[in-house]
Amino acid sequence: MLSRVADALYWMGRYLERSENITRLLLVTEDFSAETQGLAEPLAQTAWKDLLAIFPTAQVGPSASAFAPMSQAYLVGFFLDPGNPYSVHYSLRRARDNARSVREALTVEVFLALTETFRTLESHARRGLADPPSLRDALGGTHKGLFTVAGAIAQTFTRDEGWLFFKLGESLERIYRTALVLRAKLPALVAAEPRGDVALYYTQWRTLLRGLGSLENYRRIYGARLEADLVVPFLLFDPHSPRSLRYGTEAVKDYLERIAGGAETMPAARLVGRLHADLLYQDDRLTAAGADAAFLDRVVDTVALAHDALTAQYFAT
Amino acid sequence: MKWVPETAAYDEAFEKPASPRPHYRGLVTTLESFTLDEIDRRERLQKISLVDQGITFTVYGEKDGIERIFPFDFVPRIIPAREWERIEAGLIQRVTALNLFIADVYHDQKCLKDKILPPELVLSRKEYKRELLRLMPPRQIYTHVVGTDLIRNDKGEYLILEDNCRTPSGVSYVLENRNLLHRVFPEFFTRYPVRPIRDYPRQLLDTLLWAAPRATETPVAVVLTPGIHNSAYFEHSFLAREMGVFLVEGRDLIVEDSHVYMRTTGGRQRVDVIYRRVDEEFIDPLAFRHDSLLGVPGLVNVYRAGNVAIVNAPGAGVADDKAVYAYMPEIIRYYLGQEPLLGQVPTYVGLRKDDFTFMRENLAKLVVKTTGDSGGYNMLMGPFASRKEIDAYAAQMRKAPGNYIAQPLIELSSHPTWVDGKFEPRRIDLRPFILYGETIRVLPGGLTRVALRPGSYVVNSSQGGGSKDTWVLAPRSG
Repeated sequence: MLSRVADALYWMGRYLERSENITRLLLVTEDFSAETQGLAEPLAQTAWKDLLAIFPTAQVGPSASAFAPMSQAYLVGFFLDPGNPYSVHYSLRRARDNARSVREALTVEVFLALTETFRTLESHARRGLADPPSLRDALGGTHKGLFTVAGAIAQTFTRDEGWLFFKLGESLERIYRTALVLRAKLPALVAAEPRGDVALYYTQWRTLLRGLGSLENYRRIYGARLEADLVVPFLLFDPHSPRSLRYGTEAVKDYLERIAGGAETMPAARLVGRLHADLLYQDDRLTAAGADAAFLDRVVDTVALAHDALTAQYFAT
Repeated sequence: MKWVPETAAYDEAFEKPASPRPHYRGLVTTLESFTLDEIDRRERLQKISLVDQGITFTVYGEKDGIERIFPFDFVPRIIPAREWERIEAGLIQRVTALNLFIADVYHDQKCLKDKILPPELVLSRKEYKRELLRLMPPRQIYTHVVGTDLIRNDKGEYLILEDNCRTPSGVSYVLENRNLLHRVFPEFFTRYPVRPIRDYPRQLLDTLLWAAPRATETPVAVVLTPGIHNSAYFEHSFLAREMGVFLVEGRDLIVEDSHVYMRTTGGRQRVDVIYRRVDEEFIDPLAFRHDSLLGVPGLVNVYRAGNVAIVNAPGAGVADDKAVYAYMPEIIRYYLGQEPLLGQVPTYVGLRKDDFTFMRENLAKLVVKTTGDSGGYNMLMGPFASRKEIDAYAAQMRKAPGNYIAQPLIELSSHPTWVDGKFEPRRIDLRPFILYGETIRVLPGGLTRVALRPGSYVVNSSQGGGSKDTWVLAPRSG
């Protein structure tokens, strides 16, 4: 297929995944901050500020509201601000621009769902939602819209090379963001002890799982027990949960191999293959206490290098 | 249901108020059977479907909201079989002559030697490409895809207004309009034998592959687009998808060893036919405009070597010049020895001294156009212009008389159009699409554009026009 088209589909996958990640994290953080701000305001503030580590170079303007000022500024900044390179608005527009530029490679259903979701979001941005309840409501609508897009893709997209590049972008973005979330949140969480307000301690772990779209999958295995030594390995090594690092890395590896179609191992596949092997054999050193920043840094770096390698090989021909 | 009668122009649908022409009776009856609420509801459906599907065009010079929908009016225009037969024959004749004319201009230039038209009118135009002299395109076809604009005067006669031999656009709207009407008003079709048009993309692909220079069973054709910001991008993407070929931009193509290749994820792949929707000025920065970022460096050399077909052929633009248009009846007689089957609008050419004097003295009665522009940009509608506008335009004209032509204002025919809860007359034109491959074929119907502002004559999408579905009726069997 055309390199340019593969490139656009890859980025469409990344931006759609990113839109969903931001939306989910905003919904979860808003919940968390509503629950904790009266009890432990600094925790609520940290939760919002973590977004700036998860989405480096993101910008959030000053708050215009006297009530829940932090939530309001972050919600508006990360949801509706077209100038913030990590807002849902920005990401979804980029997804749609990429889709438009390769319209002929998409199905009508995909294009329709994407356009409708973006237009609804645009109309929110134009109306300038300001209070957290309306923002929440609109975020929920966008979240649903994004799943409609994903559904249209799953149901109608032909499974050709274009599909592989789309899925590659999607899964690469997913492990990248999961690693960044863990890197931002784990150190403080692991260091904290379940004393004082125990409920608050568990709320944070629950929020982490929800933020990574994994709470229900986790409960299927461990029920209501929330322990660092269970949660961290789950997010790293679970073979079935679509947002665990292992699952995501396996997906990236699989798409890279299918794109290469049996040709000799390419640089990107080699990088991801090594990472996958580590995750596959659950290195004991990587459990809760040791889920060290160094390993997560390695994940982030590997993904960045793999991105560069595949760009050079497939898009810059 | 309220029908506002036409007072000035030829009414396509009504002989006189309340008395529809025979071929419109069925439609009027169907429309009368709807309630206002029902029509409103259907119209809303139709608008939503346009925006959601991204059937949009881009308006140059507008800062934001660059994507706009091309408004669609649901009242179809109907052309009876007999009427269409005459149009079709006239168009085939015209395209045949146009192609012979272009081939002559780039070879023996007999028409210039025989003084059929002034040589400077052809040779001094930027559309005339000296680099392409004596270069015959594959199958001797220059004009594979032509869009010819037709209007009807106050007597209902069809007149040719303009030929588009470069990259005529609009055919995607023809196909989408039909789909849309099928969905929103299926009842309309029950009383009429409407000729189908869905086959166009296949016919276009046939036309492209017919031009392939390489003797291979599987020639590779692509659509070359300037990219997402071009006003007709939707159409480029639509046609590529419908034909099942790659939609490429200049940067996707590369010239090597006198062949054109696409950059693909699996390496480079050879290309045989390029349906270029890029202005010829921009297709190759080495040959034409050096500042072009849209083109493919070296493409024209590959074309010269006979290793790629370019559709329409570079240089074809020399034939659709507004001044050459004035000479088309002569051109048809000269090459075909036939009388033109379709009339055209009397045209004054600025290059002719007498014509220019007449133009200057009668600006207030004339429609004046520059020979280089299209899309209704930079024209003067004399009868509607203020004294100041006319004077300014006259001053501009004096600087380069040869760049202007003028025509009397034709009362374009009008057609009932749904506006604010009633059917009002609005002026229309027609752009049929003609494919020149193994044979010459005309898509039944074409794009009917409608001026949505009351009394307006300007139907261009960029100037507030809309469009209608166009029906050509099949001859009655038996």
